[in-house]
Amino acid sequence: MIFAVVAVAILGIGNRWGSRVFLVASVGPLAALVWAVSAASRVGNGDLPTESWTWVSSLGLIIDFRADWFSILMALLISVVGIGVFLYAVSYFENSRDVARIASALVMFAGAMFGLVISDNLLLLFVFWELTSLLSYVLIGSNEEKPGARVAALHALLVTGSGGLAMLAGFILIGESADTYSLSAIVHNPPSGMVVNVAVLLVALGAFTKSAQVPFHGWLPRAMEAPTPVSAYLHSATMVKAGVFLVARFAEPFSDTTPFGPVVVVVGCASMILGGWRALRQHDLKLLLAFGTISQLGLMMVLFGSGKEKLAIAGCVLLIAHAAYKSSLFLVVGIIDHQTHTRDIRRLGMLGRKWPVVAGVAVAAAASMAGVPPFLGFLSKELAFYGFLDWSEPSGLIVLCVVAVASAFTVAYSARFVWGAFFSVRSGRAVLDPPVSTPSPNAWFALSPLVLASLGLVLGVLPLLLESLVSGSVKSLGFEVPTIHLALWGGFNAALALSALVLVAGAWMFVGRRAIERIQARFEGVPSSVGVYDATVRGVLALSGRVTAITQSGSLRVYVAVLVLTMVALPSIPLAMNGWPGSWPSLVDSPIQAVIGIIMITAAAAAAVFHRRFASVIALSVVGYGMAALFVVQGAPDLALTQVLVETLGTVAFVLVIRHLPEKFVVAKSRGNAAAIAVSVAVAVFVFWFALSARTVSETAGPEAVVATQVESTESERGPAVEERTVSEEYLERSKPEAHGSNVVNVILVDFRGLDTLGEITVLFVAAIGIVGLIRFGARRSKDRTEVDQEVVDS
Amino acid sequence: MTTLVALVVAMLYGIGVYMILQRSLIRIVLGLSLLSHGANLLLLTSGGSAGVAAFIGRFTGDDKVVDPVPQAFVLTAIVISFAMTAFCLALAYRSWRLTGNDDVAQDEEDVRLAEMIATRNGKP
Amino acid sequence: MSEWTEQTNGSTSDLDQEIGRPSMVLDVVVRAEFHALLVASLWLLFVGHNLPGGGFVGGLVVVAAFGLRLAAGGSAELLKSLRIRSEVVLSLGLLVATGTALLGLVNDGTLLQSRELHVTLPWLGEIATSSAFFFDLGVYLVVVGSFHWLLEVFSEPESEGDFE
Repeated sequence: MIFAVVAVAILGIGNRWGSRVFLVASVGPLAALVWAVSAASRVGNGDLPTESWTWVSSLGLIIDFRADWFSILMALLISVVGIGVFLYAVSYFENSRDVARIASALVMFAGAMFGLVISDNLLLLFVFWELTSLLSYVLIGSNEEKPGARVAALHALLVTGSGGLAMLAGFILIGESADTYSLSAIVHNPPSGMVVNVAVLLVALGAFTKSAQVPFHGWLPRAMEAPTPVSAYLHSATMVKAGVFLVARFAEPFSDTTPFGPVVVVVGCASMILGGWRALRQHDLKLLLAFGTISQLGLMMVLFGSGKEKLAIAGCVLLIAHAAYKSSLFLVVGIIDHQTHTRDIRRLGMLGRKWPVVAGVAVAAAASMAGVPPFLGFLSKELAFYGFLDWSEPSGLIVLCVVAVASAFTVAYSARFVWGAFFSVRSGRAVLDPPVSTPSPNAWFALSPLVLASLGLVLGVLPLLLESLVSGSVKSLGFEVPTIHLALWGGFNAALALSALVLVAGAWMFVGRRAIERIQARFEGVPSSVGVYDATVRGVLALSGRVTAITQSGSLRVYVAVLVLTMVALPSIPLAMNGWPGSWPSLVDSPIQAVIGIIMITAAAAAAVFHRRFASVIALSVVGYGMAALFVVQGAPDLALTQVLVETLGTVAFVLVIRHLPEKFVVAKSRGNAAAIAVSVAVAVFVFWFALSARTVSETAGPEAVVATQVESTESERGPAVEERTVSEEYLERSKPEAHGSNVVNVILVDFRGLDTLGEITVLFVAAIGIVGLIRFGARRSKDRTEVDQEVVDS
Repeated sequence: MTTLVALVVAMLYGIGVYMILQRSLIRIVLGLSLLSHGANLLLLTSGGSAGVAAFIGRFTGDDKVVDPVPQAFVLTAIVISFAMTAFCLALAYRSWRLTGNDDVAQDEEDVRLAEMIATRNGKP
Repeated sequence: MSEWTEQTNGSTSDLDQEIGRPSMVLDVVVRAEFHALLVASLWLLFVGHNLPGGGFVGGLVVVAAFGLRLAAGGSAELLKSLRIRSEVVLSLGLLVATGTALLGLVNDGTLLQSRELHVTLPWLGEIATSSAFFFDLGVYLVVVGSFHWLLEVFSEPESEGDFE
């Protein structure tokens, strides 16, 4: 709620305050922080704060918020990183235009993310989920003059949006089979079955797209077109974690009974390797971090998706550690970009000497990423290895190997990042040689990354601070765990040895980076996710063009013919299945009916054949008067009266219009005329058959043919069998006592079905306005209406 | 519903469709009128064969009373189809004023799109 | 008669020229018939609840009377046949019908709920009718207004038109 207020306020303040609006914006995450801390104290006392309003109860859509430890953990990440990013953005956007829009979108995004992690209703969660997708579209594309930014924004929106739709389908399947949309209830008592298996896979699909997992990862590197604070917030710390959040929520209840766990683990492994591998060859610092993020998110997927409590502990620690180091690294890149106007490590270097503080921050954050003690990243890696070693099945060993290799990649690209940006001497000349003015960032600019990076150090040294939060989170995910003791130093054991091995291997890969680059060059031709996406988009556009070219010939006649044939073809199927009605009805009701009918058919045919417009119109009016005559025979005096009058007026209207037009129709070209005749004959045969069948239904009707039933009984005959009355019988009976009229047709029109009539006269009203507009609008009037009015008054 | 009425309905539909498939707007409007006549007649007569009009007090227990519900529907339909016919007439009139004829033109957007696709596919 | 000549000369309608000067017989018959038709239409409106008739038929009869005036005297004559602007009649009718429908909502909580009314009319004495009559009256007005408007527009002389 506060987020919305702040966002509106920022839009109101607009650009007048410049980048300082971000100070206002940070009120949002600050409020979230306060809420999270207070909620934490309440949860610590054992009660779960919940809030609930009913929105659309028939859909099971209830605004249902619920805070447990895991939500609080996520909320803390969102708010702490959010405050850091907002304070940083004050400097970053110092000279930019349109700051207010970015700021307000960022605040709304924080709000949506916050809502996502604390909502306890699957549908509500989906709403927030898509809200974050939409806002990320706005934020990535915030530099709307850059075509790359627009493409990237669209890419992100399409991928995450369609993933979100898959997820919605999964949610609905789960919700329907569990008979509730409450997340906590589902997690507590998970449904199972084939439908649920499909459903969880759909949910996993949503999570993969959001967390940029293989093969949907292509949008994340592209999204680096966004301003750096946006990347730092959305694409490292928060939005991409939504997928991880969802996997974490679903892992424990569904990992045993459904293929959810294995799928997540496999995809996570693939993302880890691919992300790490691609990160090694990036020259753009941001892209390097982006692929690193894909890799790290893959690791989180594996940790949470496995459904093992020890790995979940490691996952929670990694969530915190990653948020801290990745956001500070992004912010450092932002500083470099802002000051030197490049992010290419081939042109950077030697910055370490000029900016020792920034370099220190980067080293600390990268060390945490690489898993160097005593940072928090090391602790999370250690916990992960510890957990994997505990995994008794052979598959656990494979996963462990994959994680170890990916971690070595991580070490290597972390080193590459720091070296390339701050210490590389050889390439550093590119920056220094042409004496580009590279002003030092001011203290305020560096404050946020400094704080975020030092969080990694402080928490790494004193993991005690996290103990209750992490153990509470793991418990609220559904795992049964005793109290956890987090300690940086776990003694000499296999996990420590693995960590050391990974560090050594990573260092070796960094040293041998030239060789690796050569190997990577051989894989240039492999289709990338971006390429697949682009090809898909192109394909869809081409396909739609071709379909349009085929279906839209541009000729009204073709459209009408298709419509009419459809009208004939579809009802023919059930008609044919029922077979021939059996008996022919009596030929005519009375001799006069035969005469009228023959006249009508003749006149209708004449209307079609005549070439003179006037003759056609007259023939049509003969048909109309024939209709009136038939109505009289049928016993419908009201209809007959109306028909006569309408026909007269219609003829007048026709005559008034066609007096302007040429006397004869343009003689139709023979092309297509045969087709028109064929279609007409088909229609005529079908309607004839249909009418005869309708007759059999109505005249042999049981109670199910309600409206079209012949009314044969009257009041006197009507016995106690009230429930079999048709609508018509009821109207006949109720007309006099309740509506005080004996003309049943009129009573139906103005009373029983009065709303229909109201609609009808509204149609008349609208049609009249439309006609007047069509004829009068734009035409100069030869005589002004007011003059005529004057005459009328005079006379 | 008698066989003859069914035949009349069928002919009204058939001729109506034929006229709608013509190029002249006036003919299309005439065709629409014929179609709506056919539909009205079908609706009315599917309610049963001819009988005594449904006025309370005007029929006795032995009379065959006509179903009033289709009649009410058709009454509404007559007026609405008149409104539609008049509207189409106005359209035809305006089309004539603007283009000098009352023919239905091809949709230029669609034709252009089809040509565009065709030329693109034509290129290797 | 002189008054009539003046008017036809004053109008530039090509329809009037097509029709030419109407015969005096037609003129007289139409003038006599016009008021008879108005009375007849009102009668149809009032008895509509119990006998053939009602708002639609009644309204259409009035419009047929307008059509006669049009045939006899051209568009100027048509305009003279309704002293209130037809748009106003049309809107008034829709207003009455909707109002009646909403009145039922206010009274009984049901849209279009009708109730029995006892009205004393001059000459006819007390009659029992239903509030649905007012709904029918609205229909009548809408039919009269809209059809008159349409005739008016369709019979307008062709403007020297620059449509754009």
